[in-house]
Amino acid sequence: MARYLLRRLNLFLATSLVLIGVLFIATSHFPVEQQYALTGIESPTTDQLALSRSEYRLDSNQFRQFIAYTKQRVSGNLGVSITSQKPVIDELSQVLPASFELAIVAGILAMSLGVPLGILASLSNNKITQHSIMAITLTGYSIPVFWLGLSLSLWFGVELGWLPISGRINLLYEIEPTTGFMLIDTLLSQSIYRSSAFLDAVQHIVLPAITLAVLPFTVVVRITRAAMLHIMNEPYIRAAEARGLHTGTIVLRHALPNALIPVLKNMGLMLGTFASYAMIVEVIFSWPGVGSWLVSGIYQRDYTVIQGGVLAVALIIIFFSIFIDVLHNAFNPITRKEIYAAN
Amino acid sequence: MPRISIYQEDDIPSPMRKLWQAFADNPFALMGLWAVTCLLFLAIFGPWIAPFSPEQQDPLALLLPPSWDASGTVEHFLGTDDLGRDIFSRLLHGAHLTFGIALAIVIASLSVGFVIGSISGMMKGLKSSILSHLLDALLSIPSLLMAILVVAVTGPGLGNVFWAVGIALTPQFVRAIHQAVHEELQKDYVTAAKLDGANSIQIFWYVIMPNVWETVIIQITLAISAAILDIAALGFLNLGAQAPSPEWGAMVSQGLDNILTAPWTVTIPGVAILCSVLAINLVGDGLRSALSPLRN
Repeated sequence: MARYLLRRLNLFLATSLVLIGVLFIATSHFPVEQQYALTGIESPTTDQLALSRSEYRLDSNQFRQFIAYTKQRVSGNLGVSITSQKPVIDELSQVLPASFELAIVAGILAMSLGVPLGILASLSNNKITQHSIMAITLTGYSIPVFWLGLSLSLWFGVELGWLPISGRINLLYEIEPTTGFMLIDTLLSQSIYRSSAFLDAVQHIVLPAITLAVLPFTVVVRITRAAMLHIMNEPYIRAAEARGLHTGTIVLRHALPNALIPVLKNMGLMLGTFASYAMIVEVIFSWPGVGSWLVSGIYQRDYTVIQGGVLAVALIIIFFSIFIDVLHNAFNPITRKEIYAAN
Repeated sequence: MPRISIYQEDDIPSPMRKLWQAFADNPFALMGLWAVTCLLFLAIFGPWIAPFSPEQQDPLALLLPPSWDASGTVEHFLGTDDLGRDIFSRLLHGAHLTFGIALAIVIASLSVGFVIGSISGMMKGLKSSILSHLLDALLSIPSLLMAILVVAVTGPGLGNVFWAVGIALTPQFVRAIHQAVHEELQKDYVTAAKLDGANSIQIFWYVIMPNVWETVIIQITLAISAAILDIAALGFLNLGAQAPSPEWGAMVSQGLDNILTAPWTVTIPGVAILCSVLAINLVGDGLRSALSPLRN
């Protein structure tokens, strides 16, 4: 297992290095002066010029420059934002929790609704139930997320006026950021309007979270259903049935843990798409997360923000996809056979 | 009606015919196939069918609702947008862009992915893992981030969408083909062919490939639907097709200004995207379920 973990760590480092390499090449092709693209300082003084020249080793060859670039980026120096002239890393640390909050809520929503529905779809013998569940999931899988978000906000936000459609919280509430997660911060704050602020934050997250949850929900339903259909025919389930166990026990204790393994695996494969969708959802609902920050960065040609945002998001995705891979191996002993056989 | 067997031999259908029969048994999949055929037809001949040119502005018919509305007219079947452009004609011209470019992207990334995936799948050990894992790094960059990077370098435009979505799709083909080839390579019939003295090119093309095509076809349907959604999303964010273009996602974003007074300018292109992606997914789903009993 240690050897396996080491290999995954290696993979993480190697892919991160390739990613930084891609960014380095892209940065040198940005249609602005290289120094400006690297640091983001609009009118640098002579000292700043000399400093950035030495930091990024702009006088040496490409390879040295790449090493210096990697060093700067890994140590957290992402330059300053061209539009706001504030350090990119500070802005990043402000927008990342908002995105995580949205992604976590959407993920929980998708899992808590998708797994039961998937089990239901696999257990029911009723053709109509099966077909309607499959039709719903296929439609959900095909729906363009920006259009879904617009339609939901038009319907529930404007026509019915039930839910707010932009931002994380009403501007009337002043919440000190401690964790960066609005749902937790409102509960932690000392203000007397704590509970109403929490309710407001919940109302704000409903529409974006539902919009974002549609894609993982449909994938979870389909994978759970397929896995359950496969597993319910296995001999060990028949053995459990022969022992006279209750159907609920068989499904929940014997079949479900095994059915969740392919779900986990597909979650890892879906991360990239999920991130794309999350960015679009953030733009539509003006959610102040990393996605809307990055998209406004590209509209303003804020090259340092683009580099920092792409690096951070891609690193997070690489990390989580490898993490899910490790979890998958930890929970699924069958794949270990392959690892040891390969050695 | 039970089949009367007059002769001893049964007519054994070929794998292709078996596949078609299993596919045609599923009415939804067949419906999807018809829809995809129509879409393909519209993507090729759409500009000739369209009653108006996509940029033709009719100042007398601004924001006209679709024809089934009381105040709509039949001349503008799906209504007009805020510049008086006929939405139906724009949709037909847009099919050419959205669906055609999606096909072009998939063909390009398939050919690159096929070469890299099959080479890395046939190789063993470090070389294979370097080739496939290097692309995992690219796979982890979502298509939207890739598009942002490409736009930052070259500026927005439909040509850049080709690169952004293509680069994001290629690793998926590489991964799928690599895994399929790698899995087949472990099986006994390959060893048998090896013992017969087949060289690696023969093994690849005559022994393994016939069993990999299924994976490739399924991956193609997945990739086309993903490409359409990506192109539309980039058009919507103004990173892909630019303003007057009738690309479907760009049409949604152009309709955004009037969403409250004329919701059909947003709804209709959105429904068009939904229907075409749904049709492709229906075909893909039907193919997958038709193939799965054949494979096991």
